[in-house]
Amino acid sequence: MPETILKPDELQPVTELARKTLEQLDRILLGRRELHRLVLIGILSRGHILLEGLPGLGKTALVRTVGQILKLEFKRIQFTPDLMPGDVLGSHILQETSSGKRELVFQPGPVFTNILLADEINRASPKTQSAMLETMQENSVTLLGTTRDLPQPFFVLASQNPIELEGTYPLPEAQLDRFLFRLMFDNVDVDVLNQIISERRRGELPAPTWQMERAQLQILFDTMGKIYLPGPVSHYIARLVSATHPGAVEATGPVNSYVSYGASPRAAIAIAEAARAHALVAGRPSVGFEDVKTVAPPVLNHRLILNYQARFDRMTPSKLVTELLTQLDETGLNLPKDVELSSVP
Amino acid sequence: MRPGRDRRCARPPLSQIEDEDEDEHDSLRPGFEDEDEDDSLCRAGEDDSLRRGFEDEDEDEDDSTGPNCPMNTSHASALRAFARNLQWVLTLRLAVQMATVWFFAWGVVILALRIFGVQNLYWLTMGLLAVAPLAALAAWRARQQRASLTKIRASYDHLNACGGIIMSAETQDMGAWMAQLPGVAVPRPRWHSGRPLLLLSTSAAFVLITLLLPSRFTHFPGRHLEIGQIVGQLQAEVKLLAQEKIIDAKKATEVKKQLSQLQDDSLGYDPSKTWEALDHIKQSDSDAAQQAAQEALNKTTSMTEAETLAKALEQASDSGMSDATASQAAQDLASMLDAAKLDNGLLNVQIPPKLLAGLTGLNKEQMEKLLQNLEANKGLLSMDMSNLANLKMIDPATLANLQIEGVCNNPNALADYLCTCTNCDKAMICMYCNHPKGGLARGGPGAPMTWSDGASEKDLKFQEHALPPSPHLSQALLIGVAKTAPQLSGSDVLSQHGALDNTAAGGGGANAQVILPEQRQAVQNYFKRDN
Repeated sequence: MPETILKPDELQPVTELARKTLEQLDRILLGRRELHRLVLIGILSRGHILLEGLPGLGKTALVRTVGQILKLEFKRIQFTPDLMPGDVLGSHILQETSSGKRELVFQPGPVFTNILLADEINRASPKTQSAMLETMQENSVTLLGTTRDLPQPFFVLASQNPIELEGTYPLPEAQLDRFLFRLMFDNVDVDVLNQIISERRRGELPAPTWQMERAQLQILFDTMGKIYLPGPVSHYIARLVSATHPGAVEATGPVNSYVSYGASPRAAIAIAEAARAHALVAGRPSVGFEDVKTVAPPVLNHRLILNYQARFDRMTPSKLVTELLTQLDETGLNLPKDVELSSVP
Repeated sequence: MRPGRDRRCARPPLSQIEDEDEDEHDSLRPGFEDEDEDDSLCRAGEDDSLRRGFEDEDEDEDDSTGPNCPMNTSHASALRAFARNLQWVLTLRLAVQMATVWFFAWGVVILALRIFGVQNLYWLTMGLLAVAPLAALAAWRARQQRASLTKIRASYDHLNACGGIIMSAETQDMGAWMAQLPGVAVPRPRWHSGRPLLLLSTSAAFVLITLLLPSRFTHFPGRHLEIGQIVGQLQAEVKLLAQEKIIDAKKATEVKKQLSQLQDDSLGYDPSKTWEALDHIKQSDSDAAQQAAQEALNKTTSMTEAETLAKALEQASDSGMSDATASQAAQDLASMLDAAKLDNGLLNVQIPPKLLAGLTGLNKEQMEKLLQNLEANKGLLSMDMSNLANLKMIDPATLANLQIEGVCNNPNALADYLCTCTNCDKAMICMYCNHPKGGLARGGPGAPMTWSDGASEKDLKFQEHALPPSPHLSQALLIGVAKTAPQLSGSDVLSQHGALDNTAAGGGGANAQVILPEQRQAVQNYFKRDN
């Protein structure tokens, strides 16, 4: 908890950096302002992001552009069923030195980067998935007894294809929990598509006109630690995560009906961090309820395990989270149902 | 990027404000804070006393006092007003709920009390006094249940889209950011009071209905004995008896009171006591009326006889009655009036004492006065008895007897007797006065014998009738014929005399008996012989 609140003149330059980053993203990639905001929030929260969408919607372009703007090293792995853990983490290769000796030299895998795009992560075998997910958690690679730290900052932006699920290995829920956000890539609207066609030959992306320096990025990360989380907001986050469990005091009817297992404490930490990032991007020194309600859906929608009844009733985690955010009183006043508060004077 | 700031009363969330005026950096312009201070839109009054009051209210919470001084006065007063308004709405809501429950319970209690006989509206309306304590209880309970200032502050922050700054001000110094907050607006708590107020109105109406419901709806059918008509009739009888001074006023008042009590206390499930009491009163009234009627009859008879004698005296004195006879007759008149005891008993007959005292020496004028007085008293008695007869307290035959008792059929005979007799017998005088009549209707066994007037068979109870003839022989039923005459031996039981007595075998006798079907078997058994 920060001892002092950021002053306006301290926060404004940082917010300006975030604004410029978003401006570049919106200029380069059209039609997904909210998505770009959430990706930036995820990065500021030092979390990994799962991107889900049909092929050709710009997932790879987004990650690449983020890497360009933030001047971070970017690597891409196309996951296939035959991909081995060594292909991701790296391996030791027997090499002959100049003196004629032969020794094992570690060849780092593509995971040794700042931004790793794990394309179609659900196509890899569970062994490869778990190897990579372990590095996501530990931020290091241990092979043959030697632990090697990954470069910082390190982000994994994994992608999944919601169709063509034959021969895939869906990520288990325990491993999905490691991702901060699960962001859905929807189709762009007609106007944006028209603009893309008109302005981008062969879909080529324009180069960024501004890039963030490493020092600036570090300032952003440092400022994140100074964003204040008020007690009522913290309490709200805890109540929200608790309400995702069936049988909880504040669990709603649909939660009790459709949820088998709710979100873990890791989700509460993720919401808090993401809410801080959202407040920073909005230019505020403290987190408000609006920040929590904005970041809660992408944080929670891949952490709820639904039962078969939800399948029959076509209930999705997103709908449940939306309903929960609507029903749960943010401030905990617990007013009677026939008393409501109006902000209009 | 400009921090959240909006001059309008209805403000968007701070996160949306950054999309406006991207090229402006208002927060870095000098005088930015001064502009906000001059903005008077949607701002509550800045009052140091309110700030102090707000700080005093939050003595138990570590927020607004001390060196941090987190909020400016306008937001502090707005927050205080918000907390006050919210508390007021919740208190009002709780008070309405409590009042509704109280009214329904009180109405049920009133209904139960009225069913069990409590009709005093003063006591029943005492429940109104509970309204004030209820309001105080609601206020106390609402205060107990009130939310903490932290939650109210969080709600204020959320409703005004302050982005957590107001909440952070509780523990942090947010002085630099307070100027960039949106304009002050006190959130308004709204209570959808339609249904609760409807329930309250219903409960209040329920109480009013239970209070104003007529008594006949609050008693179970059959519990109260309807004796109003009988009681009214008896009260009229008692009133008449009191008017006629047959019973004294004090007793009449007691009986009336008793009747009223009976009417109030009579219950349908045990009417016997009520009927018994009513019968007793009825019988008492009837006995008093009968006694009065008998007394009136006796006194009327006496006065009629005295009147007859007085008239005969008056007539005889004109016809040359002797002084001795007149004196004797006058004494008899005086003794007759004295023996009647007219001033005793239930019905007092008032005859002037001068007339009574000077009966032996009454002149014609005084005799006239006596006659008038007697006539007037008889009229009064007759009127009294008429009133009793109107209420059916005495038999109309009794009333009719008043008119005929003591009337002398032949007053001239008495006058003649007085004129002709030398030593008049008092008994003879009395006999003349005691309605001497001829025939069976002349007065029964005491009537004098006359040999000239024939007795009328009218009203005779015994009259000679011819007995019906015995049935014709052709209608007789021959049961059997004995071959020989029945013979009796010494050991035989003599036949009992009865229906077959005097019946001869093989023939009819003087008294031929008709054998009834139920007797046939007995007769056949009788004629069976062991020969």
